[in-house]
Amino acid sequence: MENTVKVIDVVWHTDAIYELLLERNGQAFVPGDCVALYAADGQASRPYSFASGADDPDLRFLIRRMDGGEVSPHLASLKTGADVKVSPPFGWFRPGQAGDNAPAVFIATGTGIAPFLSYLRTFSSRPPLMCLYGVRERKDAVAAAFLREHCDTRLAVSRETAPDAYHGRITDLLPELRLAPEIHYYLCGLDAMIDQVTDWLEEQGIDITHIHRECFFNAEV
Amino acid sequence: MTTDTIEFRQSNPWLETAKGEKRGYIQPAKLTELWFHTGTICNLRCPFCLEGSKPGDTRIQALKLDDVRPFIEEALDLGVEQFSFTGGEPFVVKDFIKILQLALTHRPCLVLTNGTEPLFNRFADVVPLLDLPHPVRFRISIDYPDEQRHDAGRGPGNFRRAWATMKRLHDAGFTVSVARQRDKDEDVNAADEQFRDLMEAHGIPRDRTIVSFPDFLTPGSTGHAPEITESCMTTYHTEETRADFMCNYSKMVLKKNGRMRVYACTLVDDDERYDLGGTLSDSMNARIVLTHHRCFSCFAYGASCSEK
Ligand SMILES: Cc1cc2nc3c(=O)[nH]c(=O)nc-3n(C[C@H](O)[C@H](O)[C@H](O)COP(=O)(O)OP(=O)(O)OC[C@H]3O[C@@H](n4cnc5c(N)ncnc54)[C@H](O)[C@@H]3O)c2cc1C
Ligand code: SF4
Repeated sequence: MENTVKVIDVVWHTDAIYELLLERNGQAFVPGDCVALYAADGQASRPYSFASGADDPDLRFLIRRMDGGEVSPHLASLKTGADVKVSPPFGWFRPGQAGDNAPAVFIATGTGIAPFLSYLRTFSSRPPLMCLYGVRERKDAVAAAFLREHCDTRLAVSRETAPDAYHGRITDLLPELRLAPEIHYYLCGLDAMIDQVTDWLEEQGIDITHIHRECFFNAEV
Repeated sequence: MTTDTIEFRQSNPWLETAKGEKRGYIQPAKLTELWFHTGTICNLRCPFCLEGSKPGDTRIQALKLDDVRPFIEEALDLGVEQFSFTGGEPFVVKDFIKILQLALTHRPCLVLTNGTEPLFNRFADVVPLLDLPHPVRFRISIDYPDEQRHDAGRGPGNFRRAWATMKRLHDAGFTVSVARQRDKDEDVNAADEQFRDLMEAHGIPRDRTIVSFPDFLTPGSTGHAPEITESCMTTYHTEETRADFMCNYSKMVLKKNGRMRVYACTLVDDDERYDLGGTLSDSMNARIVLTHHRCFSCFAYGASCSEK
């Protein structure tokens, strides 16, 4: 059943990307899990993936505010102490689901990095072999420094040049990807990226049982 | 079942139409198929969803293995021939693979799925189901043969993903079928033929089953279907066609407010008057009065979730 929890803070990273911190109230989850967060009317809801570690004291979400959207602008406007309606956790995408010793590669666009942050904040001793992280502008790469502390991170910035990033789409970096039949590939974010990477991996002979996907945003958004 | 529900079943609006005629009914004969509603949680939130399913939804709660086990045992005692699963999206439910494994040790199964990420991500657990004593068939929802029209409801890219999943299931050795939406006044054969062309284009045999449904409206909608009287059931139906009503040979089990309940069929779970009790044996004798607006679809078009 749905719960109501209190907002601890809304922390802005850019003019569109923010972190929503909620009181945990003992809520258990595993990295990759989501909850549905509700708009003010208690009716409209959207799923958001936990970005916090499974043992952290608070719940954290990394969210892009979509202008004109039903839920993300509402969550962005919340003040400390406000109430948010939250569903029980659920999920069908679990970074690391293939097992503790299975080598993994993470590929994310935008706020699609959230479940991987949750994973790294929970299992910091079991990092992936590498992470490809694609954003529009360099400032959107809010998790780049954290990721670089944990694993070999390749950043792609599509709309501008940046000294520490490849200028172009994340899919241009695919030839740099470590490929081996035992590696599990976890993809999250924009669905167009997910479809292209899946097709590419299959062309390279990777079995689909080693490809794990979560679509946050559809190509038209 | 509440006392209110029992009283209502004996009342006039339940048993008689607005004009005072006796309502049509089905007196269930057997239990050949048992449906499980795995919950209204889904990864998609299609605006037309007859269950109102969406991410995080709990109107009908997600099933756990221990919820299902007693109903499987009871259904076997009652002679059930098949277990079927619908949602929501069954593959979102954590225990679903375990539930299927249990069901497949006893009877063939049918699973309705949207064929997107939740199934894709569990493919490694799905393939070994082929080794269990009974087969599982998958029915994938592809609303329209037109990609844009399908994706307008289910989200961009999902047409392509659903076909890719269907092909993967077929290649792995599973029997697949399609659930599509039926337009008013459509030419059924012509519409099916478009799907058969798509099957062929995706490397799936043309002869797979296609099940089509009219618009059932969202949960709680009243609809404006004509009332079905007892004489309608004898004038327009025969003993043989009455036997084909889903509520004659099947039931649906689901979890609401933390309690497992048995409903008359897959289409009426938004109406408590069709809650027939907490066990299958309790539910078997209940007469199913055809008052729900979706009953009219069964009456007029033979809508059935089964592949009988
Ligand atoms: C499993 C899952 C997990 C997710 N986790 C995250 C996460 O951690 N972080 C995150 O940022 N997002 C996440 N998302 C995405 C999130 O759920 C929402 O889709 C997103 O926040 C937009 O919701 P909204 O209500 O603000 O916008 P919506 O109301 O859904 O609208 C989205 C955008 O589309 C536009 N739009 C709406 N309808 C139409 C239309 N008919 N035609 C044209 N344009 C239209 C709106 O103006 C808006 O710009 C996740 C999605 C999924 C499926
Ligand atoms: S995929 Fe099916 S169950 Fe899910 S919202 Fe769409 S119609 Fe409903």
